[in-house]
Amino acid sequence: MKHAITALIVSLLASASLQAQSTLRIRGSDTLGAKLIPSLAESFKKTGGKVSFDIAAEGSSTAFTNLASGTAEIGMSSRKVKADEKTLCRSKGIDLNEIELAWDMITVVANKNNPVADLSKKQIMQIFAGDITDWSEVGGTPGPISVYTRNTSSGTYKDFMTMAMKGREYGKNSQKMAGNEQIASEVGSNANGIGYIGYAYAGAKGVKIVSIGGSAPNPAAVKDYVLSRPVFLYTNGQPAGNVKAFVDFCLSPAGNAVIAKGGFVAVK
Amino acid sequence: MPEASSTPPGTLGSKILRRGRRTVLGMDPQKLIKNFFGANSSIAIIVLVLIMVFLLREGAGFLSTYHHELETYRKAGLEFCDIADTPLKQQQTMASSLRRALSIEMEPLVKTARERRDAAFLFKRAHDEKNSEGTAAFDASTLFTSEEKNQLKAELAALTPESTDLPATLQKLAAEFATKDREAKTKFKTIIEAEETFEEAAEPVAEILDELKTHATETKEAANEFHTLEAGRQQLLAAAASATGSEKADLLKEAELSKVEEPKYAERVETLLEKREDLVKALGDYVTAVEEAAKSLQSSSTHPEAAQLIASVEKAIPTHLADIQKASKDLTAWKWDEPVSFFRAVSSFAFGTGWITNSSWQDFYGVLPLLTGSLLISFVALFIATPISVTAAIYTNQFASEREKELIKPVIEFIQAIPSVVLGFIGIAVVGDLIKGFSQWEFLSWIPGFPIQERLNIFNAGFLLAFMAVPTMFSLSEDALNNVPRAYSEASDALGATKLQTVFRVIVPAAISGILSAILLGLGRVIGETMVVLLVAGNRIAIPDFSDGLGAIFQPAHTLTGIIAQELGEVSRGSSHWQALFMVGILLFVISLSVNWCARTIAKRFEHPKA
Repeated sequence: MKHAITALIVSLLASASLQAQSTLRIRGSDTLGAKLIPSLAESFKKTGGKVSFDIAAEGSSTAFTNLASGTAEIGMSSRKVKADEKTLCRSKGIDLNEIELAWDMITVVANKNNPVADLSKKQIMQIFAGDITDWSEVGGTPGPISVYTRNTSSGTYKDFMTMAMKGREYGKNSQKMAGNEQIASEVGSNANGIGYIGYAYAGAKGVKIVSIGGSAPNPAAVKDYVLSRPVFLYTNGQPAGNVKAFVDFCLSPAGNAVIAKGGFVAVK
Repeated sequence: MPEASSTPPGTLGSKILRRGRRTVLGMDPQKLIKNFFGANSSIAIIVLVLIMVFLLREGAGFLSTYHHELETYRKAGLEFCDIADTPLKQQQTMASSLRRALSIEMEPLVKTARERRDAAFLFKRAHDEKNSEGTAAFDASTLFTSEEKNQLKAELAALTPESTDLPATLQKLAAEFATKDREAKTKFKTIIEAEETFEEAAEPVAEILDELKTHATETKEAANEFHTLEAGRQQLLAAAASATGSEKADLLKEAELSKVEEPKYAERVETLLEKREDLVKALGDYVTAVEEAAKSLQSSSTHPEAAQLIASVEKAIPTHLADIQKASKDLTAWKWDEPVSFFRAVSSFAFGTGWITNSSWQDFYGVLPLLTGSLLISFVALFIATPISVTAAIYTNQFASEREKELIKPVIEFIQAIPSVVLGFIGIAVVGDLIKGFSQWEFLSWIPGFPIQERLNIFNAGFLLAFMAVPTMFSLSEDALNNVPRAYSEASDALGATKLQTVFRVIVPAAISGILSAILLGLGRVIGETMVVLLVAGNRIAIPDFSDGLGAIFQPAHTLTGIIAQELGEVSRGSSHWQALFMVGILLFVISLSVNWCARTIAKRFEHPKA
């Protein structure tokens, strides 16, 4: 009986000391949080950081709601913060600090067997807004166009709307998928599919990149591509402690190497 | 009864055992135990009431918030812009039909050239990826002569990784197609010109509207900022009123810092109203231009489908122009300070056809597309599940041998144990492709909606939900059949009926109320299912196009449950979006409650006396 109690106390203390290792909660974008941030976290842990990571990627909008309610230390966002989100954070006493992490290229993808390989910017706007509904209208084989987009919590959704569609709403026949992988898999299996994903996912099976007015995404010349956008990390005030260590790691050459390998372009 | 050895009267033991009829804690122990069980059962009722209260509390603020948003929509001038913008959107559909008609007309002229170009490009890709299927298809294709095939293969073999130009044959084929395309386009000049006139006619209107829209959006952002910060400031002032000393000074200072001016709506709207005349004039010019273009559109096309498309555009033009005229009148009559009735907020939630959130223009919370999606999926699921579960129940209860019963019942009830997310995964990975594959078969093309376009659709979700509903409906139907008094079947036998006659003319009608309530409970189960529909229903927020009749069930849709699951992560607590989602939750709750209540009423009304 005495041994049992001692063992119990020892195990409780051990688990308590484990909890003392701090957790960094990161919430936000699926484009960043599905592959890039976890690999940065792994590399960070290998350099000796004694932090455990809790990463959930449900869309860039969740970064700001979590920062505002205090349930995250770092928010990852693939778009800039909106005015009403800034107001919300300000009203909850959070001072948003923006850190530019990398550049991403939003790639428009179509099915591999689709003969259309290039679309003008206007045609892309018309396709995603629902004005053009048939592939024959843009020089492909006749067939109705199936448009796949992200859902409303995604930063990529918002960025694409602003950059490629001049702020117009998506057509009501678009289907809202949960993440980059789902869009890639649907476009890859539907000969009439078209969608947009981050450059890191453009190597998926069955999809091919569609160039926009002749300009194709090229990591060596990020700023030349039409749909390049910076991706950000947001913190509450200037980063300190573990948050500062992680953010510094991401912006260091070692972090930049991981970013490049992940399909993004590091900020020079 | 033998006396227990060591419980003299007056001890605790005797008290607990009620020896000598003494009481414990002033109460009869039996009553104590009864009250304990009663309390446990009322906990369930209390929790249900608490859930309803919580839902109502979070969602009840929605109607007034939405009403305020609709007022801002009007005061900031966004409604003004939309009056002109909405009819213009129809123009895009017409232009799209014209483009399609054009390509159908041109098809016979450019088909060969295009197919050759496409086949050559596909072969190049197959060659690059070392895909033997693609190469074999090219070898078997009849579009090229054998010299052309050999030449292309030789060129591809000669390609080095540094060469950026396409092989000569591919360039030639692409140029061939371009020439044919140009030739064909000169033949159909009238249609091309009509389509171009459409697009150009709308441009002056669009220019004016763009300016007005930017201005209106700025007003709206200022109004929202004022609203949020003002609410916070009032809270700070209230806190300061009850604080003292330095804390009070701090709070008052913060309140001062977050003071923001309310935008002057009258002034801001002036800018819009100044442009009103220009806008109305531009719309008038648009109407004239479109009428001109319509005159030159002749349906002189030979191809029936193209002729049909052009005829539909010709038919749609008068309605479109009438809409634009009405829009001009509405623009002239628009007043920025006309009050928005509360009923408008309610009706635009309950009957609105667009659920648009996170928009840079204006959020609309219309629940109709989600409701139709949920109902369609539920009905498809019921339609598939009812025959299966009811006939299985009749067989198991009446015709099956003991061994068969021992096999069928546990297996069907085991289906309930499958997690819904696993079923959703099977739907994405297997069922979608299966259904799409079936729909490509030639001899099934008479089914409306085949070949299907999307593999994630209503039917896919309904099919999986039917699978989930079968165990519930099966168990309840089987219980209902079991509860039919034996006297009925014995009497029927005595009158000389065969087994089949007894089952279908006596027992099933007697159990019909139980079977109906089983079906309704299956419906209640299916309407509330989230994970499967989120993964598999396709997530398109639009009322399905019923022009195909029943084929509409092969289109994607979104549901009440799916939208809550999908959007709850991004909403900030207390915002209008948050409250809208809770309203959707209340709607779901009400639907489930009413379905369950119906089921119970039906079961009670047709209850037969227990023999």
